Amino acid sequence: MTLPDPSQTARGTAASTSTPASAPLQPIEMRDVELTRGSRTVLSGLSLDVKAGEIYALLGGNGAGKSTTLSALLGFLTPTSGLIRVCGYDPAAEADAARRRTAYLPENVALYDLLTAHENIAYFMALAGAEPERAAIDAALDAAGLQREARDRRVSGYSKGMRQKVAIAMAVLRDVPVLLLDEPTSGLDPRATADFNALLGGLKARGTAILMVTHDLLGAADCADRIGFLAEGRIIEEVHPGEGIDVLALHHRYGERSAA
Amino acid sequence: MSALRLIAWNEWRLIRRSAVARAALFMLLALSAIAAFTSIAHRDESDALRARFQAQADAEFDGQPARHPHRMVHYGHFVFRPLPALAAFDPGVDAFTGSAIFLEGHRQNSANFGDVRQSSLLARFGQLTPAFVLQVLGPLVLVFIGFGTIARERESGTLRFLKAQGIAARTLLAGKALAIGGIAALLLLPALLSLGWLVLAEQAPLSGALLLAACYTAYLAFWVAAVVAASAIARDARSALMALLGLWALTTILMPRIAPDIALAATPLQTRLETDIAIHEDLRRIGDSHNPDDRHFAAFKAATLARYGVTSVEDLPVNYRGLLAMEGERITAQLFGEYAADQSSRQRRQGALATGFGLLSPAIALRSASMALAGTDLDGHQRFLDQAEVYRYAIVQGLNRLQAEAVTYADDGSRNKDPEAARRVRIDPRHWHDVPDFTYRAAPLAERVQAAAPGMALLLFWLIAGVFTLRFAARRIAEAL
Repeated sequence: MTLPDPSQTARGTAASTSTPASAPLQPIEMRDVELTRGSRTVLSGLSLDVKAGEIYALLGGNGAGKSTTLSALLGFLTPTSGLIRVCGYDPAAEADAARRRTAYLPENVALYDLLTAHENIAYFMALAGAEPERAAIDAALDAAGLQREARDRRVSGYSKGMRQKVAIAMAVLRDVPVLLLDEPTSGLDPRATADFNALLGGLKARGTAILMVTHDLLGAADCADRIGFLAEGRIIEEVHPGEGIDVLALHHRYGERSAA
Repeated sequence: MSALRLIAWNEWRLIRRSAVARAALFMLLALSAIAAFTSIAHRDESDALRARFQAQADAEFDGQPARHPHRMVHYGHFVFRPLPALAAFDPGVDAFTGSAIFLEGHRQNSANFGDVRQSSLLARFGQLTPAFVLQVLGPLVLVFIGFGTIARERESGTLRFLKAQGIAARTLLAGKALAIGGIAALLLLPALLSLGWLVLAEQAPLSGALLLAACYTAYLAFWVAAVVAASAIARDARSALMALLGLWALTTILMPRIAPDIALAATPLQTRLETDIAIHEDLRRIGDSHNPDDRHFAAFKAATLARYGVTSVEDLPVNYRGLLAMEGERITAQLFGEYAADQSSRQRRQGALATGFGLLSPAIALRSASMALAGTDLDGHQRFLDQAEVYRYAIVQGLNRLQAEAVTYADDGSRNKDPEAARRVRIDPRHWHDVPDFTYRAAPLAERVQAAAPGMALLLFWLIAGVFTLRFAARRIAEAL
């Protein structure tokens, strides 16, 4: 699986992705973030950062605050206190600038059922300010592993996995400095998961900062540089899979925390 | 391409690919085209028929043989209201009010021959005209095509995805409104073409046609805003559809039918029978020309004799019976005028109250403006009644004057006993030729625009309300994500 030529992607064609002058900046930076929804505190002093060319996997049980973290980074939710920056921009106050630098892959990929994969990608890319050639879209779909014969069919008949591949292709094409993934491999078979992890490796090599929310510890251990365990709205443990951790023990511990 | 145009273009693409939307659009366009064709044909046919009937009535009046002038007063004359060119777009009250009046002495008749009385109950629901299609069916098609424009994006998750792409809620709603607005423009097209045809081929006033087009554009623009806003605010597409169908039923079907009833209850009109009885009682009170002891006519006789310096009606140089007929007609016409003015004033109050309901229903506001601009509102009908009454009075008094001047009092008194006198009272038929034909003068455009102003102001209010609702919806969308 190979990524398309960067000159064919959004980062290669659009000049609008430059960061503020005071570089170097962390692509993703969260400091002491508190966020309440109604009377419930969802994030409670969350701090994390993801560097360029790094994959960070965020794990946690249901209600730990994983999806809220992504929503805050996308500017959908405003923190009560603390600091959030995406490439130096506050996603709540400078939403447009931050979102132009962010690609987002939701757990349930939403596409227009009456459009084909090509048309969906071309539309979303055009909204992001890029107009990739059909060949570039095909290259991205190749990289995402979507069968050629499916690409000109309406996506209404697509499986969850196929939809995710379309969204992955979009993320690849946008080639933005920050990629946010919400349970990216939940609908994929083991082969596709392996392909996907390889794809993330390619993006990482390009310098993309990747924050992945997942339940899949084994998958995360396979591809992430760091894994943060989220509980009660903050990181309670952070490990580096590359440093020879005991995944089985981690899995055991993580399972206990999820159940707690 | 800007994000706004991209969103609109994509929405059109989705609508094109939806079989239901295509079918709804096709049916309405077909209906709209059929309405335009049949309405123009119907108006042309009706107008030609009325012109033919008018010419026939004129010819029959002119062709009457030598008669006693008072026989001609009772022979009477038909007048027909010609249809304005824009009636092909909006026939307004024409089908209900009648288009012909029988004019005769001592009576003021109602208009007759309305289409509704000659057709099925279906015509009462609404004739198939461009105005009806746009007022009632146009919003319904916009509702069916657009109710899910935002709600479905929310349900499927694409809305969140769009937001993640950096699309502002306001841009999204504007793009959707542009797309649904494009559909509205398509719906307007057959009607605009028919208006163009009426201006070019049937001499309809250009300014009137342009104002009509502007009113219908504003009306559909309100519906576009309402559809997009409801789709954005509602919990889901189904709720949006239910809310919009409720709004449509309430404002385009229910309110326009309830408003006139409320106006009627607030300002009741006398029935024809009640009016006739009241006039008859007033006439008895004022005086009876056949009663020698009647105070009014005794005074009239004394004044007439004094004016001519004679002591008996036989000595008058004119036929006293003719003078009596003129005085009697003057009194009845004055009474008719007073009752008609009262009825007309009540109808105006009813109309104003009904138009006021335009604050609750944009369809009422549009109907009021549309009929006024087309010259087919109640004011136009009242104008016809007023002109017909002036004409009736002139004819009847002209014939009464002929009786006074061309027929002697002696002959008039003995015509039933003396065949020679009966021959002499039948005056030359050239006198009927001298009676001018009825020519209806339609209200000038400035007057029609003035009559349409309240409706147009209410439409503007609805349009502004629509824009504010869209802005509110944009805020809700921005907050909800």
